[in-house]
Amino acid sequence: MNTTVMDHKTASERRSGKKRKRIGDRGDYFLNRIQGETNGNVSACYQCERCTNACPVSHFMDIKPHQVIRYVQLGWREDLLRSSTIWVCLSCEMCTTYCPNEVRVAEIINHLRNIAAHSSIAPREKHLAVFHQTFLEVLSKSGRVNEFRLMKAFYSKPNILNEKIKSGNLKEELLLGLALLKKGRLKPFSSRSKLIKEIRKAYIQARGEIV
Amino acid sequence: MKLSFYPGCSLEGMAVDYARSIDAIFKALDIDLVEIDDWSCCGATAAHSLSEAMSVILPARNLSAAEQMGLDIVAPCANCFNRLRFSQQMVQKKVLDIPWPVTGDLKVHDMTRFLAEPAMIKQIKKRVLKPLNGLKLVCYYGCQMVRPPRITGYTDYENPQTLDRIAAAVGARVIDWSYKATCCGASIGIGRREIGNSLTKRLLDKARQAGAEAVVVSCPLCQSNLDMIQKDRLEQPVPVFYFTELIRLSFSDRGNPKWFKMHFADPVPLLSKINAI
Repeated sequence: MNTTVMDHKTASERRSGKKRKRIGDRGDYFLNRIQGETNGNVSACYQCERCTNACPVSHFMDIKPHQVIRYVQLGWREDLLRSSTIWVCLSCEMCTTYCPNEVRVAEIINHLRNIAAHSSIAPREKHLAVFHQTFLEVLSKSGRVNEFRLMKAFYSKPNILNEKIKSGNLKEELLLGLALLKKGRLKPFSSRSKLIKEIRKAYIQARGEIV
Repeated sequence: MKLSFYPGCSLEGMAVDYARSIDAIFKALDIDLVEIDDWSCCGATAAHSLSEAMSVILPARNLSAAEQMGLDIVAPCANCFNRLRFSQQMVQKKVLDIPWPVTGDLKVHDMTRFLAEPAMIKQIKKRVLKPLNGLKLVCYYGCQMVRPPRITGYTDYENPQTLDRIAAAVGARVIDWSYKATCCGASIGIGRREIGNSLTKRLLDKARQAGAEAVVVSCPLCQSNLDMIQKDRLEQPVPVFYFTELIRLSFSDRGNPKWFKMHFADPVPLLSKINAI
Protein backbone atom coordinates (compact mmCIF):
# COMPACT_ATOMS: atom_id res chain seq x y z
CA MET A 1 0.00 0.00 0.00
CA ASN A 2 1.46 3.24 -1.08
CA THR A 3 0.60 6.06 1.27
CA THR A 4 3.14 8.66 0.22
CA VAL A 5 1.57 12.09 0.31
CA MET A 6 2.58 14.20 -2.65
CA ASP A 7 3.50 17.77 -1.88
CA HIS A 8 1.69 20.51 -3.78
CA LYS A 9 4.51 21.12 -6.21
CA THR A 10 4.85 17.57 -7.48
CA ALA A 11 1.09 17.21 -7.64
CA SER A 12 0.69 20.12 -10.00
CA GLU A 13 3.63 18.98 -12.11
CA ARG A 14 2.00 15.56 -12.50
CA ARG A 15 -1.35 17.08 -13.44
CA SER A 16 0.02 19.22 -16.25
CA GLY A 17 2.26 16.43 -17.46
CA LYS A 18 5.27 18.70 -17.71
CA LYS A 19 7.59 20.52 -15.44
CA ARG A 20 5.90 23.57 -14.02
CA LYS A 21 7.27 26.89 -15.06
CA ARG A 22 8.09 29.28 -12.28
CA ILE A 23 9.42 32.79 -11.96
CA GLY A 24 13.13 32.59 -12.69
CA ASP A 25 15.79 33.31 -10.11
CA ARG A 26 16.51 36.50 -12.01
CA GLY A 27 13.81 38.07 -9.88
CA ASP A 28 12.52 41.35 -11.26
CA TYR A 29 15.52 41.92 -13.52
CA PHE A 30 13.66 41.57 -16.82
CA LEU A 31 10.62 43.51 -15.62
CA ASN A 32 12.79 46.37 -14.40
CA ARG A 33 14.81 46.38 -17.59
CA ILE A 34 11.75 46.61 -19.85
CA GLN A 35 10.12 49.18 -17.56
CA GLY A 36 13.24 51.31 -17.61
CA GLU A 37 13.84 51.11 -21.33
CA THR A 38 10.26 51.64 -22.55
CA ASN A 39 8.69 53.54 -19.64
CA GLY A 40 5.76 51.26 -20.42
CA ASN A 41 3.93 51.10 -17.06
CA VAL A 42 4.26 47.29 -17.07
CA SER A 43 3.23 46.73 -13.46
CA ALA A 44 -0.05 48.58 -13.87
CA CYS A 45 -1.56 45.81 -16.02
CA TYR A 46 -4.54 44.06 -14.42
CA GLN A 47 -5.20 41.66 -17.28
CA CYS A 48 -8.48 43.14 -18.52
CA GLU A 49 -7.60 41.90 -22.05
CA ARG A 50 -8.70 45.09 -23.71
CA CYS A 51 -5.47 45.14 -25.73
CA THR A 52 -6.07 41.62 -27.03
CA ASN A 53 -9.64 42.43 -27.94
CA ALA A 54 -8.59 45.57 -29.80
CA CYS A 55 -5.73 43.86 -31.65
CA PRO A 56 -6.58 43.14 -35.33
CA VAL A 57 -4.12 40.23 -35.56
CA SER A 58 -4.36 38.64 -32.09
CA HIS A 59 -5.70 35.38 -33.52
CA PHE A 60 -2.45 34.93 -35.46
CA MET A 61 -0.36 35.31 -32.30
CA ASP A 62 0.77 32.51 -30.00
CA ILE A 63 1.18 34.77 -26.94
CA LYS A 64 -1.66 37.30 -26.86
CA PRO A 65 -0.86 40.96 -26.08
CA HIS A 66 -2.20 40.83 -22.49
CA GLN A 67 -0.17 37.68 -21.92
CA VAL A 68 2.95 39.44 -23.21
CA ILE A 69 2.65 41.92 -20.36
CA ARG A 70 2.19 39.10 -17.85
CA TYR A 71 5.20 37.27 -19.26
CA VAL A 72 7.29 40.41 -18.85
CA GLN A 73 6.15 40.70 -15.23
CA LEU A 74 7.15 37.06 -14.66
CA GLY A 75 10.48 37.48 -16.41
CA TRP A 76 9.82 34.81 -19.04
CA ARG A 77 12.18 36.39 -21.50
CA GLU A 78 13.03 33.48 -23.81
CA ASP A 79 9.38 32.56 -24.39
CA LEU A 80 8.72 36.11 -25.54
CA LEU A 81 11.70 36.25 -27.86
CA ARG A 82 10.71 32.91 -29.41
CA SER A 83 7.07 33.90 -29.92
CA SER A 84 5.44 34.75 -33.22
CA THR A 85 3.69 37.67 -31.48
CA ILE A 86 6.62 40.06 -31.64
CA TRP A 87 6.88 39.65 -35.42
CA VAL A 88 3.16 39.50 -36.26
CA CYS A 89 2.46 42.76 -34.36
CA LEU A 90 1.65 45.53 -36.85
CA SER A 91 2.51 48.44 -34.54
CA CYS A 92 -0.98 49.78 -35.21
CA GLU A 93 -1.06 51.03 -31.59
CA MET A 94 -4.62 49.89 -30.91
CA CYS A 95 -3.51 48.17 -27.66
CA THR A 96 -1.62 51.19 -26.31
CA THR A 97 -4.41 53.58 -27.24
CA TYR A 98 -7.17 51.59 -25.57
CA CYS A 99 -5.33 50.43 -22.45
CA PRO A 100 -7.18 51.82 -19.39
CA ASN A 101 -3.95 51.82 -17.34
CA GLU A 102 -1.76 53.44 -19.98
CA VAL A 103 0.43 50.37 -20.38
CA ARG A 104 2.36 50.92 -23.59
CA VAL A 105 1.74 47.46 -25.00
CA ALA A 106 2.82 48.22 -28.58
CA GLU A 107 6.02 49.92 -27.46
CA ILE A 108 6.85 46.97 -25.19
CA ILE A 109 6.27 44.48 -28.02
CA ASN A 110 8.37 46.67 -30.32
CA HIS A 111 11.16 46.75 -27.77
CA LEU A 112 11.04 42.96 -27.45
CA ARG A 113 11.34 42.77 -31.25
CA ASN A 114 14.45 44.96 -31.00
CA ILE A 115 15.93 42.65 -28.37
CA ALA A 116 15.09 39.57 -30.45
CA ALA A 117 16.70 41.11 -33.54
CA HIS A 118 19.96 41.48 -31.62
CA SER A 119 19.88 38.01 -30.06
CA SER A 120 20.89 34.56 -31.30
CA ILE A 121 17.31 33.31 -31.15
CA ALA A 122 15.97 32.56 -34.65
CA PRO A 123 12.81 34.58 -35.32
CA ARG A 124 9.62 32.51 -35.33
CA GLU A 125 8.26 34.45 -38.32
CA LYS A 126 11.31 34.38 -40.53
CA HIS A 127 9.78 36.09 -43.57
CA LEU A 128 8.56 39.07 -41.59
CA ALA A 129 11.90 39.51 -39.83
CA VAL A 130 13.88 39.15 -43.05
CA PHE A 131 11.64 41.71 -44.75
CA HIS A 132 12.42 44.34 -42.08
CA GLN A 133 16.11 43.55 -42.40
CA THR A 134 15.98 43.86 -46.20
CA PHE A 135 14.21 47.20 -45.93
CA LEU A 136 17.01 48.62 -43.80
CA GLU A 137 19.66 47.25 -46.14
CA VAL A 138 18.05 48.84 -49.20
CA LEU A 139 17.68 52.06 -47.22
CA SER A 140 21.34 52.14 -46.26
CA LYS A 141 22.33 51.56 -49.89
CA SER A 142 20.39 54.36 -51.54
CA GLY A 143 18.96 56.52 -48.75
CA ARG A 144 15.49 56.04 -50.17
CA VAL A 145 13.50 52.86 -50.56
CA ASN A 146 12.35 51.91 -54.01
CA GLU A 147 9.69 49.18 -53.93
CA PHE A 148 11.09 47.36 -56.96
CA ARG A 149 14.57 47.19 -55.49
CA LEU A 150 13.14 46.21 -52.13
CA MET A 151 11.20 43.27 -53.53
CA LYS A 152 14.16 42.15 -55.65
CA ALA A 153 16.43 42.19 -52.59
CA PHE A 154 13.80 40.39 -50.51
CA TYR A 155 13.39 37.53 -52.99
CA SER A 156 17.14 37.09 -53.37
CA LYS A 157 17.54 36.49 -49.63
CA PRO A 158 18.41 32.85 -48.86
CA ASN A 159 15.46 30.44 -48.87
CA ILE A 160 12.78 33.09 -49.38
CA LEU A 161 12.20 32.14 -53.02
CA ASN A 162 12.21 28.40 -52.24
CA GLU A 163 9.69 28.80 -49.46
CA LYS A 164 7.46 30.97 -51.63
CA ILE A 165 7.49 28.27 -54.33
CA LYS A 166 6.69 25.61 -51.73
CA SER A 167 3.75 27.54 -50.35
CA GLY A 168 2.44 28.08 -53.89
CA ASN A 169 2.27 31.86 -53.58
CA LEU A 170 4.99 32.68 -56.06
CA LYS A 171 2.93 32.71 -59.24
CA GLU A 172 0.33 34.99 -57.75
CA GLU A 173 2.98 37.39 -56.46
CA LEU A 174 4.83 37.51 -59.77
CA LEU A 175 1.57 38.27 -61.58
CA LEU A 176 0.88 41.08 -59.12
CA GLY A 177 4.40 42.43 -59.67
CA LEU A 178 3.92 42.37 -63.44
CA ALA A 179 0.57 44.12 -63.16
CA LEU A 180 2.17 46.81 -60.97
CA LEU A 181 4.98 47.29 -63.49
CA LYS A 182 2.45 47.61 -66.29
CA LYS A 183 0.48 50.21 -64.34
CA GLY A 184 3.71 52.14 -63.76
CA ARG A 185 3.53 51.78 -60.01
CA LEU A 186 6.78 49.83 -59.66
CA LYS A 187 9.78 51.69 -60.99
CA PRO A 188 12.97 49.74 -61.76
CA PHE A 189 15.06 52.90 -61.52
CA SER A 190 14.80 55.63 -58.96
CA SER A 191 16.49 58.61 -57.43
CA ARG A 192 18.98 58.36 -54.59
CA SER A 193 19.61 60.68 -51.72
CA LYS A 194 22.97 62.38 -52.06
CA LEU A 195 23.56 62.14 -48.34
CA ILE A 196 23.94 58.38 -48.48
CA LYS A 197 27.41 58.44 -46.89
CA GLU A 198 26.16 60.17 -43.76
CA ILE A 199 23.18 57.84 -43.53
CA ARG A 200 25.35 54.77 -43.88
CA LYS A 201 27.65 56.09 -41.17
CA ALA A 202 24.72 56.65 -38.80
CA TYR A 203 23.46 53.14 -39.54
CA ILE A 204 26.82 51.58 -38.70
CA GLN A 205 27.09 53.65 -35.52
CA ALA A 206 23.58 52.63 -34.45
CA ARG A 207 24.70 49.01 -34.70
CA GLY A 208 27.36 49.77 -32.11
CA GLU A 209 30.41 50.01 -34.35
CA ILE A 210 32.96 52.79 -34.06
CA VAL A 211 33.35 54.83 -37.23
CA MET B 1 2.05 80.56 -48.06
CA LYS B 2 5.22 78.49 -48.25
CA LEU B 3 5.79 75.06 -46.72
CA SER B 4 8.47 72.43 -46.97
CA PHE B 5 7.25 69.16 -48.42
CA TYR B 6 8.41 65.71 -47.35
CA PRO B 7 7.10 63.37 -50.08
CA GLY B 8 8.44 60.06 -48.78
CA CYS B 9 9.55 57.06 -50.82
CA SER B 10 6.07 55.85 -51.84
CA LEU B 11 5.29 59.03 -53.71
CA GLU B 12 8.11 58.25 -56.12
CA GLY B 13 6.93 54.71 -56.75
CA MET B 14 3.64 53.12 -55.78
CA ALA B 15 1.85 56.43 -55.29
CA VAL B 16 2.96 58.62 -58.18
CA ASP B 17 -0.69 59.48 -58.80
CA TYR B 18 -0.94 60.81 -55.23
CA ALA B 19 2.10 63.05 -55.87
CA ARG B 20 0.60 64.39 -59.13
CA SER B 21 -2.74 65.23 -57.55
CA ILE B 22 -0.99 66.96 -54.64
CA ASP B 23 0.99 69.10 -57.09
CA ALA B 24 -2.16 70.06 -58.95
CA ILE B 25 -4.27 71.04 -55.94
CA PHE B 26 -1.57 72.98 -54.11
CA LYS B 27 -0.93 74.97 -57.25
CA ALA B 28 -4.65 75.71 -57.43
CA LEU B 29 -4.67 76.70 -53.75
CA ASP B 30 -1.67 79.05 -54.23
CA ILE B 31 0.46 77.28 -51.64
CA ASP B 32 4.10 76.86 -52.43
CA LEU B 33 5.42 73.39 -51.59
CA VAL B 34 9.22 73.24 -51.53
CA GLU B 35 10.60 69.72 -51.51
CA ILE B 36 12.97 69.16 -48.58
CA ASP B 37 16.52 69.40 -49.82
CA ASP B 38 17.83 65.91 -50.57
CA TRP B 39 15.32 64.16 -48.32
CA SER B 40 15.90 60.59 -47.22
CA CYS B 41 13.65 57.74 -46.09
CA CYS B 42 12.03 57.96 -42.63
CA GLY B 43 12.76 54.29 -41.93
CA ALA B 44 9.07 53.34 -41.73
CA THR B 45 8.19 50.23 -39.71
CA ALA B 46 11.46 48.40 -40.34
CA ALA B 47 13.63 50.96 -38.56
CA HIS B 48 11.70 51.00 -35.30
CA SER B 49 11.23 47.23 -35.40
CA LEU B 50 14.92 46.43 -35.57
CA SER B 51 16.68 49.49 -34.22
CA GLU B 52 14.90 52.12 -32.16
CA ALA B 53 17.88 54.47 -32.49
CA MET B 54 17.62 54.50 -36.30
CA SER B 55 13.92 55.30 -36.11
CA VAL B 56 14.84 58.59 -34.41
CA ILE B 57 18.01 59.38 -36.37
CA LEU B 58 16.62 58.84 -39.89
CA PRO B 59 13.66 61.27 -39.68
CA ALA B 60 15.85 63.73 -37.76
CA ARG B 61 17.93 64.12 -40.94
CA ASN B 62 14.88 65.49 -42.71
CA LEU B 63 13.86 67.66 -39.77
CA SER B 64 17.35 69.13 -39.82
CA ALA B 65 17.18 69.87 -43.56
CA ALA B 66 13.76 71.50 -43.16
CA GLU B 67 15.02 73.61 -40.25
CA GLN B 68 17.77 74.97 -42.46
CA MET B 69 15.08 75.96 -44.95
CA GLY B 70 13.07 77.45 -42.08
CA LEU B 71 9.74 76.12 -43.33
CA ASP B 72 7.12 74.01 -41.51
CA ILE B 73 6.84 70.49 -42.85
CA VAL B 74 3.82 68.93 -44.47
CA ALA B 75 3.86 65.16 -45.06
CA PRO B 76 1.27 63.37 -47.19
CA CYS B 77 2.15 59.83 -46.05
CA ALA B 78 0.69 58.75 -42.71
CA ASN B 79 3.68 56.70 -41.66
CA CYS B 80 6.19 59.42 -42.60
CA PHE B 81 4.16 61.91 -40.59
CA ASN B 82 4.06 59.58 -37.60
CA ARG B 83 7.80 58.88 -37.69
CA LEU B 84 8.69 62.57 -38.16
CA ARG B 85 6.52 63.53 -35.18
CA PHE B 86 7.97 60.72 -33.07
CA SER B 87 11.52 61.70 -33.96
CA GLN B 88 10.74 65.35 -33.20
CA GLN B 89 9.52 64.44 -29.70
CA MET B 90 12.61 62.34 -29.01
CA VAL B 91 14.87 65.12 -30.31
CA GLN B 92 13.19 67.61 -27.99
CA LYS B 93 13.68 65.23 -25.06
CA LYS B 94 17.35 64.89 -26.05
CA VAL B 95 17.48 61.14 -25.45
CA LEU B 96 19.78 60.33 -28.37
CA ASP B 97 22.80 61.87 -30.03
CA ILE B 98 21.78 62.98 -33.48
CA PRO B 99 24.59 63.38 -36.03
CA TRP B 100 22.82 66.36 -37.59
CA PRO B 101 22.11 69.82 -36.16
CA VAL B 102 18.44 69.69 -35.19
CA THR B 103 16.28 71.36 -32.55
CA GLY B 104 12.82 69.97 -33.32
CA ASP B 105 11.14 73.38 -33.26
CA LEU B 106 9.34 73.17 -36.59
CA LYS B 107 5.72 72.20 -36.94
CA VAL B 108 5.05 68.87 -38.64
CA HIS B 109 1.63 68.77 -40.32
CA ASP B 110 -0.07 65.82 -41.83
CA MET B 111 -1.61 66.84 -45.11
CA THR B 112 -5.19 65.86 -44.28
CA ARG B 113 -5.38 67.86 -41.08
CA PHE B 114 -3.66 70.79 -42.76
CA LEU B 115 -6.29 70.87 -45.51
CA ALA B 116 -9.16 70.22 -43.06
CA GLU B 117 -8.54 73.43 -41.07
CA PRO B 118 -11.62 75.67 -41.34
CA ALA B 119 -9.67 78.32 -43.28
CA MET B 120 -8.42 75.79 -45.81
CA ILE B 121 -11.86 74.19 -46.17
CA LYS B 122 -13.15 77.66 -47.07
CA GLN B 123 -10.42 78.01 -49.71
CA ILE B 124 -11.26 74.58 -51.13
CA LYS B 125 -14.98 75.32 -51.27
CA LYS B 126 -14.25 78.56 -53.09
CA ARG B 127 -12.42 76.70 -55.87
CA VAL B 128 -14.83 73.83 -56.38
CA LEU B 129 -16.07 74.04 -59.98
CA LYS B 130 -17.99 70.82 -60.08
CA PRO B 131 -19.15 69.30 -56.79
CA LEU B 132 -19.07 65.50 -56.72
CA ASN B 133 -22.77 65.19 -55.98
CA GLY B 134 -24.06 61.65 -55.68
CA LEU B 135 -20.74 60.01 -54.86
CA LYS B 136 -21.29 57.80 -51.81
CA LEU B 137 -18.07 57.07 -49.97
CA VAL B 138 -16.49 56.09 -46.67
CA CYS B 139 -13.32 57.67 -45.30
CA TYR B 140 -10.55 55.38 -44.15
CA TYR B 141 -7.77 56.79 -41.97
CA GLY B 142 -5.71 53.74 -41.04
CA CYS B 143 -3.53 53.62 -37.96
CA GLN B 144 -0.43 55.72 -38.29
CA MET B 145 -2.12 59.03 -38.94
CA VAL B 146 -4.29 58.95 -35.79
CA ARG B 147 -2.51 56.66 -33.33
CA PRO B 148 -0.91 56.88 -30.85
CA PRO B 149 -2.65 60.16 -29.94
CA ARG B 150 0.24 61.39 -27.77
CA ILE B 151 2.37 61.50 -30.94
CA THR B 152 -0.11 62.44 -33.66
CA GLY B 153 -2.06 64.92 -31.53
CA TYR B 154 -5.45 63.67 -32.71
CA THR B 155 -8.08 64.06 -29.98
CA ASP B 156 -10.83 62.31 -31.94
CA TYR B 157 -8.76 59.22 -32.68
CA GLU B 158 -11.76 56.90 -32.32
CA ASN B 159 -13.83 58.74 -34.88
CA PRO B 160 -11.52 61.08 -36.82
CA GLN B 161 -13.21 63.71 -38.98
CA THR B 162 -10.55 65.38 -41.14
CA LEU B 163 -11.10 63.37 -44.34
CA ASP B 164 -14.86 63.47 -43.76
CA ARG B 165 -14.79 67.28 -43.71
CA ILE B 166 -12.72 67.48 -46.89
CA ALA B 167 -14.87 64.94 -48.76
CA ALA B 168 -18.01 66.79 -47.70
CA ALA B 169 -16.49 70.10 -48.84
CA VAL B 170 -16.09 68.78 -52.39
CA GLY B 171 -19.71 67.68 -52.44
CA ALA B 172 -19.51 63.92 -51.85
CA ARG B 173 -21.91 62.08 -49.56
CA VAL B 174 -19.88 60.73 -46.63
CA ILE B 175 -21.18 57.59 -44.93
CA ASP B 176 -20.32 56.80 -41.31
CA TRP B 177 -18.77 53.41 -40.59
CA SER B 178 -16.99 51.62 -37.77
CA TYR B 179 -13.73 50.74 -39.48
CA LYS B 180 -12.25 54.21 -39.98
CA ALA B 181 -9.07 53.51 -38.06
CA THR B 182 -8.75 49.72 -38.19
CA CYS B 183 -5.38 48.55 -39.48
CA CYS B 184 -5.11 47.40 -43.12
CA GLY B 185 -2.11 45.16 -42.37
CA ALA B 186 0.58 47.47 -43.77
CA SER B 187 3.47 45.47 -45.23
CA ILE B 188 2.62 42.19 -43.45
CA GLY B 189 1.13 40.81 -46.68
CA ILE B 190 4.62 40.49 -48.17
CA GLY B 191 5.72 38.00 -45.53
CA ARG B 192 2.37 36.52 -44.49
CA ARG B 193 -0.12 36.91 -47.32
CA GLU B 194 -3.08 35.35 -45.51
CA ILE B 195 -2.92 37.83 -42.62
CA GLY B 196 -2.78 40.84 -44.92
CA ASN B 197 -5.60 39.57 -47.13
CA SER B 198 -7.91 38.79 -44.19
CA LEU B 199 -7.56 42.36 -42.93
CA THR B 200 -8.04 44.14 -46.25
CA LYS B 201 -10.93 41.90 -47.32
CA ARG B 202 -12.79 42.66 -44.11
CA LEU B 203 -12.34 46.40 -44.64
CA LEU B 204 -13.73 46.25 -48.18
CA ASP B 205 -16.66 44.06 -47.09
CA LYS B 206 -17.55 46.50 -44.34
CA ALA B 207 -17.32 49.42 -46.75
CA ARG B 208 -19.72 47.68 -49.15
CA GLN B 209 -22.08 46.83 -46.29
CA ALA B 210 -22.13 50.46 -45.22
CA GLY B 211 -23.38 51.28 -48.72
CA ALA B 212 -20.26 52.98 -50.02
CA GLU B 213 -19.29 53.00 -53.69
CA ALA B 214 -15.74 54.16 -53.00
CA VAL B 215 -13.19 54.54 -50.22
CA VAL B 216 -11.15 57.68 -49.56
CA VAL B 217 -7.70 57.33 -48.02
CA SER B 218 -4.67 59.48 -47.35
CA CYS B 219 -2.00 56.80 -46.82
CA PRO B 220 -0.15 55.33 -49.84
CA LEU B 221 0.17 51.92 -48.21
CA CYS B 222 -3.52 51.74 -47.30
CA GLN B 223 -4.36 52.66 -50.89
CA SER B 224 -2.08 49.97 -52.34
CA ASN B 225 -3.39 47.30 -49.98
CA LEU B 226 -7.06 48.07 -50.55
CA ASP B 227 -6.58 48.52 -54.30
CA MET B 228 -4.23 45.62 -55.11
CA ILE B 229 -6.53 43.04 -53.55
CA GLN B 230 -9.12 44.02 -56.19
CA LYS B 231 -6.79 43.16 -59.06
CA ASP B 232 -8.83 40.18 -60.26
CA ARG B 233 -12.21 41.94 -59.97
CA LEU B 234 -14.14 39.06 -58.46
CA GLU B 235 -16.68 41.24 -56.72
CA GLN B 236 -18.15 44.63 -57.42
CA PRO B 237 -15.12 46.97 -57.48
CA VAL B 238 -14.77 49.62 -54.77
CA PRO B 239 -12.38 52.29 -56.13
CA VAL B 240 -9.90 53.60 -53.57
CA PHE B 241 -9.20 57.32 -54.00
CA TYR B 242 -6.59 59.53 -52.47
CA PHE B 243 -8.42 62.49 -50.97
CA THR B 244 -6.35 64.82 -53.15
CA GLU B 245 -7.62 63.07 -56.27
CA LEU B 246 -11.17 63.95 -55.26
CA ILE B 247 -10.23 67.58 -54.62
CA ARG B 248 -8.48 67.73 -58.00
CA LEU B 249 -11.56 66.26 -59.68
CA SER B 250 -13.86 68.82 -58.11
CA PHE B 251 -11.51 71.68 -59.04
CA SER B 252 -11.80 70.92 -62.75
CA ASP B 253 -14.84 71.21 -64.94
CA ARG B 254 -14.35 67.76 -66.31
CA GLY B 255 -11.90 65.17 -64.99
CA ASN B 256 -9.39 63.32 -67.11
CA PRO B 257 -9.65 59.48 -67.10
CA LYS B 258 -5.84 59.39 -67.41
CA TRP B 259 -5.54 60.57 -63.78
CA PHE B 260 -6.88 57.22 -62.62
CA LYS B 261 -5.03 54.82 -64.91
CA MET B 262 -2.86 53.53 -62.04
CA HIS B 263 -5.87 52.22 -60.11
CA PHE B 264 -6.70 48.51 -60.19
CA ALA B 265 -10.32 49.05 -59.21
CA ASP B 266 -11.27 51.28 -62.12
CA PRO B 267 -13.10 54.40 -60.89
CA VAL B 268 -13.99 55.68 -64.38
CA PRO B 269 -17.45 53.98 -64.67
CA LEU B 270 -18.42 55.29 -61.25
CA LEU B 271 -17.21 58.80 -62.02
CA SER B 272 -18.88 58.94 -65.42
CA LYS B 273 -22.13 57.88 -63.74
CA ILE B 274 -22.05 61.10 -61.69
CA ASN B 275 -20.81 63.07 -64.75
CA ALA B 276 -17.47 63.95 -63.20
CA ILE B 277 -15.52 62.52 -66.14
